[in-house]
Amino acid sequence: MSNGQVAVIATDAGPHLWWLASRAAGIVALILSSVSVSAGLLMGGRVRKVRGTDLRVAHEALSLATLAAIAVHGLTLVGDGFLKLSLADVSLPLASSYKTFWTTTGIVAFWALALLGLSYYARTSIGAQRWRMLHRFTALAWVLGLAHSLGEGTDAGQTWYLAMTAIVAVPALALLATRLLSSRKPSAPPARPIPRTE
Amino acid sequence: MPPTDPHTGGGTPPSPEQKKRRAQAVARGRLEAMRGRARKIRRSVAAATAALFVAAFLGVYVQLAAGHDPALDAAAKRRAAATLSASTSSSTGSGESASAKKRAEARRKASGSVESSSSASESGSTSEESTSEEGSQESSAPSSVTTSQS
Repeated sequence: MSNGQVAVIATDAGPHLWWLASRAAGIVALILSSVSVSAGLLMGGRVRKVRGTDLRVAHEALSLATLAAIAVHGLTLVGDGFLKLSLADVSLPLASSYKTFWTTTGIVAFWALALLGLSYYARTSIGAQRWRMLHRFTALAWVLGLAHSLGEGTDAGQTWYLAMTAIVAVPALALLATRLLSSRKPSAPPARPIPRTE
Repeated sequence: MPPTDPHTGGGTPPSPEQKKRRAQAVARGRLEAMRGRARKIRRSVAAATAALFVAAFLGVYVQLAAGHDPALDAAAKRRAAATLSASTSSSTGSGESASAKKRAEARRKASGSVESSSSASESGSTSEESTSEEGSQESSAPSSVTTSQS
């Protein structure tokens, strides 16, 4: 066998399949959540060329796909024979002894995304105004998820991963900053009533 | 002259009922088109998600199979460092035992040189110096003891 062949099959990936699936699902969740946050911020903003309904449908579909990807990301870790994490380790904050801070950050981000995202289907009982106010915290949950991926992600030090994260996260962060800055701008003072001259 | 409807071919004007029905048909068509677009968007998102997952999985799989996995590389480095430190400590242990033997031998030599009368000043001073030297050498660097021994 030549050296090239040895280099190609350097590691047997068989025992790591669950772990690989978890990493892949995490990457997908990061991309989808970033695009979803961008779509959500575009919906509320004034810069949009896509139809409002289409954007809303895309935002909803992306959010649901994000939640599914995060669920796969956590559940596949339970199957990994090396880390040997339990369901509680991947679903309850501070339960896991493996990188407790970053794992907890990810778990909190997931629950926040799930609660704030799925509350859309109960917005009539919550109240549209109140729901909209609550839904703004989704961006914070996304930032937590981003921090989790960069702090704990296996590939976080890799150039391709950082480039990919920048491509999907920077536009969303820019839109978020624009939204925050525009909402902080003082509103125009109310027009003075014109005095009547009789 | 009353206005005529172009769709009816200029005959009788459409009744309010007809107008209502036509508006309903247009609305139904628009709603159907919107639903179709929504279905298409949902399917596209699902397909893109699946494609992304497969691409990401293959990417990390190939990376791992090629032996460039960041986690396994780090683990291998840690293991190598641990092996190195273990071997160093074991060699230090053997050095210490060698130095202890050397010290005992030097002590024996020193006591022998004090007893012997010929070249007492030379050998005595030398043995004392060498003993003290060896002691300091042993404490600082075991490898140098081995070198002096050889």
